[in-house]
Amino acid sequence: MNPEQAAVRQSAKEFVAGNIIPYAEYYDKSGDFHAYLLEATRTTGIFAMAVPTEYGGLGYCPLTQALVLEEWGYGCAAMGTTLSASILSMEAVLIAGNEDQKRRFCKPMLEAGLGAFALTEPAAGSDASAGVAIAVKSGNDYILNGPKCWITNGGVASVYVVFAATDPARGAKGLSAFIVERGLPGFIPGDREEKLGLRSSNTSFFFLKDVRVPAANLLGQEGDGMKIAMETLDIARPAIGALAVGLAQRCLDECVKHLRRRFPAKSFPGETLQFELADMQIEIEGARQAQHHTMALREAKLPFTKESAVAKTLCTAVAMNVTSRAMRLMGSHAYTSEFGKFMRDAKVMQIYEGTNQIQRLVIARSVLAPPRAAAPATTAGKK
Amino acid sequence: MTYSLTEPQQILGQRAREFAFEFLDPILADLDRGQIFPKALIGRLAAHDFLGLMVPKQSGVPGAGFVSHIEVVQALSRSCPAIASVINNHALVAYAIAHWGCESQKNAYLPAMIKGEKLGAIAVQEEGPIPGDGPAALLAVPQGSGFILNGTKTFVRNAGVADVYLVFATIQSGLTGFVVDAGTAGLSVGPRLETMGLRACPVADLSFKNVAVSETTVVGGEDPSVAGQLLSIGAVAEAAQTVGIARAAVSHAAEYAKRRVQFRHPIARLQAIQTLLAEIVTDSHMAWLGIRHAAQLIEDGAPFEAEAAMVKLFLGRFGSKMLIDAIQIEGGMGICEVVPKHISGPLPLARMFRDIAGTTLLDAPDDFPDKVVAAAVS
Ligand SMILES: Cc1cc2nc3c(=O)[nH]c(=O)nc-3n(C[C@H](O)[C@H](O)[C@H](O)COP(=O)(O)OP(=O)(O)OC[C@H]3O[C@@H](n4cnc5c(N)ncnc54)[C@H](O)[C@@H]3O)c2cc1C
Repeated sequence: MNPEQAAVRQSAKEFVAGNIIPYAEYYDKSGDFHAYLLEATRTTGIFAMAVPTEYGGLGYCPLTQALVLEEWGYGCAAMGTTLSASILSMEAVLIAGNEDQKRRFCKPMLEAGLGAFALTEPAAGSDASAGVAIAVKSGNDYILNGPKCWITNGGVASVYVVFAATDPARGAKGLSAFIVERGLPGFIPGDREEKLGLRSSNTSFFFLKDVRVPAANLLGQEGDGMKIAMETLDIARPAIGALAVGLAQRCLDECVKHLRRRFPAKSFPGETLQFELADMQIEIEGARQAQHHTMALREAKLPFTKESAVAKTLCTAVAMNVTSRAMRLMGSHAYTSEFGKFMRDAKVMQIYEGTNQIQRLVIARSVLAPPRAAAPATTAGKK
Repeated sequence: MTYSLTEPQQILGQRAREFAFEFLDPILADLDRGQIFPKALIGRLAAHDFLGLMVPKQSGVPGAGFVSHIEVVQALSRSCPAIASVINNHALVAYAIAHWGCESQKNAYLPAMIKGEKLGAIAVQEEGPIPGDGPAALLAVPQGSGFILNGTKTFVRNAGVADVYLVFATIQSGLTGFVVDAGTAGLSVGPRLETMGLRACPVADLSFKNVAVSETTVVGGEDPSVAGQLLSIGAVAEAAQTVGIARAAVSHAAEYAKRRVQFRHPIARLQAIQTLLAEIVTDSHMAWLGIRHAAQLIEDGAPFEAEAAMVKLFLGRFGSKMLIDAIQIEGGMGICEVVPKHISGPLPLARMFRDIAGTTLLDAPDDFPDKVVAAAVS
């Protein structure tokens, strides 16, 4: 970590302590969207941390973003999810968009607005190509129709990346991505879901009914949709890992705080308990390193698809494990306090941005890939 | 040892399933959401003989005994494990009075407890790491022919709705049980605590301020093992809740997997899903064998502590995991508290996830069952 990153992390810590931790419980209970947060970040512009400087953002590198996300996860994984999902949608535009599209999409982020990434449909969860949303060219526009569900920030974003089939017969190869601004006629918002965890992160259904979108909003070419989605998710998965590491660390810290209060120093209990705590820290450290490693690969422009899937799976599994173990150790104290939130939040994180089974498919594919033939010396290093 | 149930035991289990269908399923979401204790059900539970199974002699119910008790607890927990918590706490008090109480305590409490006219609650935990340790410990000081109780018991289930509390207080160094009626001067129930799950079962602290009790309220004399034995029996009964929840969850997830199509086929055809289902079923089956074994030992009056501790150790590891995996099978649908409008289906698993976590808690952060199991290794 360089001094600049240390400073960013420090200010994230302070922001989280002042603006997130004190409110997390209230919003978890109500399940309402934590809209106040957008105002609170206006001065720091943290929602634009991933927006490149040429578009007016903070231009943080992946590792720096991860440091901030870990702090947000430490404070409240639901609020962290709002931030990371907004970044996710923008990454899709940065990957595939032209100058004009990038500028347009980034603009709301500069003003603490939110983005949403809308791929999932009732019939298309893990199988993203099974959707029914379609986009039909009509003059200079596309007309979009279809349902989207489980969309983070779906009810509160100002700008969306929506996936719809331009050529349904071609399945995954017929999917395309569009920028859709909120408020267009025919954009029918639905209710937010009432969830087990990440409760104040807005997860919503919406329906597109003859929504007319200018052709200038098509990202890349027709049929690029699936490729854009997968590349975007590669980038986004370790971000979920960062949130999960923060959540797990918070849980351990709170657990230790509780145990210290309960046990006077002289009677601090035996090795079974101490090793439970040590195991939690071992898992958290390992997960954190895996996730930082992915960020470093991405920064170095090296392939990171497998590592990204490893980081997402490992970090969220660690969060689940640490939070459930801590719940058992702390017993009724945890069961009757906001501590349950940690466990509930962790569970949801094993599902979104591709379930941990889908990550394993990605990882297994890489593990089982035929070993690369030893290349002749002259072509070594080339692809 | 046989693992098949006698006919009366089977009938009790079957009746509990029917009871759950008829009386619990329709209201359980409301109980959970509103943290409602369904007072009106207590009489019904008694009428079905569910409140006195742990005191077979006094209840006179055919098939009564600990094995039937866990059958019923397991069956009810498939619907509403919170009600099973209420029953378990109640039954432990009845069990203690039947085993260690004097004749006049038995007469005063057991018939009324079996009929559901008096509900019981047991209070062991304290704020300190172990009972008797810490500034708020509940202490009993002899005075005249009785005792004065001062201190606080924490996280008492059935607190506020119980008519009789079995309270463990420290005299010098030993823990002694007292039966204290609700409403006794100086006994007050703290605010009802918000719980993550098992929400129909109230939880609150009990505080004692110069509560005077006569020596006739002592249960089990100064036998220091009473509290420990009750906690181990309670752990087995609680484990039956864990298994009931897991069984309900795995059926729910299996049903869902048959209906949910991804990649052109029901996900139930995927090996990854089959493995998850198989692990949940295997873990709950292993747990149930352990529970049945321990229950039989308890019913037979044989030593059971190591077996009970094994059950607790096993479910400490696999209890919540079963729901973590069941939810995983249902993906986004699994984490909904309310069925989304765009999907149709039965109530989701989220409540069970919250409930099961409450059935595998350690009573104190250092009371690992590991010690008991290790001590039994010869
Ligand atoms: C809180 C939350 C926020 C979300 N935010 C967004 C968002 O912003 N944008 C968006 O587009 N989507 C979002 N989603 C949707 C999310 O990505 C999907 O829930 C996820 O992809 C899984 O889809 P599903 O829920 O339909 O489960 P399904 O795909 O139906 O999966 C059910 C089960 O089958 C397993 N499974 C499926 N296929 C396979 C396979 N081939 N091999 C092995 N196992 C398999 C899954 O792992 C899971 O266990 C969100 C979901 C949640 C819960």
